[in-house]
Amino acid sequence: MTRRLRTAVLIAAALLWVSTVAAAFQAIRRFETTPGRAAIAPRTWPVSSRIQRAADWTLVMLIHPHCSCSRASVQELQAVIESAPTVHPTVLLYRPTSFPRGWEKTDVFEAASRLRRTRVIIDDDGREARLFGGFTSGQTFLYDRNGTLRFAGGITSLRGHAGINRGRTDLVDIMQARAARGTHPVFGCAIASVTEEAK
Amino acid sequence: MSTNGNVAERAAELRDEQVHARRVRVDRMFAVLLGIQYLAGILGAIAVSPYAWAGKEKVLHMHVWIAILGGGGIVILPILLAIFRPGTTLTRHVIAASQMLSSALLIHLTGGRIETHFHVFGSLAFLAFYLDWKVLLTATTVVAADHFARGIFFPESVYGIANPEWWRFLEHAGWVVFEDIFLVWACVLSLREIDAAAVRQAEVEHLQEQEQLKSAALEMALAELKATA
Repeated sequence: MTRRLRTAVLIAAALLWVSTVAAAFQAIRRFETTPGRAAIAPRTWPVSSRIQRAADWTLVMLIHPHCSCSRASVQELQAVIESAPTVHPTVLLYRPTSFPRGWEKTDVFEAASRLRRTRVIIDDDGREARLFGGFTSGQTFLYDRNGTLRFAGGITSLRGHAGINRGRTDLVDIMQARAARGTHPVFGCAIASVTEEAK
Repeated sequence: MSTNGNVAERAAELRDEQVHARRVRVDRMFAVLLGIQYLAGILGAIAVSPYAWAGKEKVLHMHVWIAILGGGGIVILPILLAIFRPGTTLTRHVIAASQMLSSALLIHLTGGRIETHFHVFGSLAFLAFYLDWKVLLTATTVVAADHFARGIFFPESVYGIANPEWWRFLEHAGWVVFEDIFLVWACVLSLREIDAAAVRQAEVEHLQEQEQLKSAALEMALAELKATA
């Protein structure tokens, strides 16, 4: 390789290097900070839901089993369970009925199944999720003993980022009577695709 | 030039040769390491989050694209420099910056796992193989800049809280500086040892030269004696 060609290759690589670093930073920033579609949650408990309401607080989380970002949501739910000893959460795990059984058995499913005091329910085609008006994996709802919605939102700070965040602290504060209600952006995969929603 | 001047000049030459050879070797080591890290980043992204889902539909996850394209962009320049310009100052500073950017990328790809942050500290130790404390300065600046920028745009990803103090990046960089202090000290000590060894070798070479000259003079004198006898 001639000296001139070598220099040209190195200059091109330098330009590529600088632009890639800037573009990658921007892409990561946009991806991680863009929340999913927020729920249009009913203000009162949806009576047609097959989930049994708890005596005091009823916590429901929607999960897409293949959403890698939802590992963080499950991890945060563990922290909520540790902070609120009376809560018995329900995790609704999305599964399309047209897919083979076992499709939903992922590490996210396993992690949710290992949570203490937690019931995991397979949500065929996201029917229960629709009753709660949820669209995004990680979406969490908290209803009080009267069936009034007190919290709707996500409990992670960003996509796939576990760690203390406003959503988790608000949820715990409500259950410990330090706050009345709350909401927080939700980060995760869509529970249903656009074509499924249109049906 | 005086005898001492000759020895000092030869010692400097030996030192430069040795340090340059070492830096070329380290450049090559980093070229291989950066390539391995690039592949590991892609494999990690595929293993941790291969697809993004929307109900039943899946697409390749953004992290896989970032590992392939972003990771490739980060490593291409340092690898080319290590091949075409090994041992130069520019090469090792670009390698230092790229190694730290690779750390930042790996931290992202593993979902901000605290364990992946150890990559930064391991990388600093590897960079110290160059025996050039300025390289550590470049690496530390990149780490601090990354934390500062992310602290402004999405602080939760780096600090775990939404509203950190403005100086929080200095605290994180401070731990890096803590390691730097010892690495810089080790670099300076190692260079001194190389200097001392080069001086010793130059002195030995000088003595050998003197001995050879003496032997030659003696042999010549003996030959003259034999001729006159």
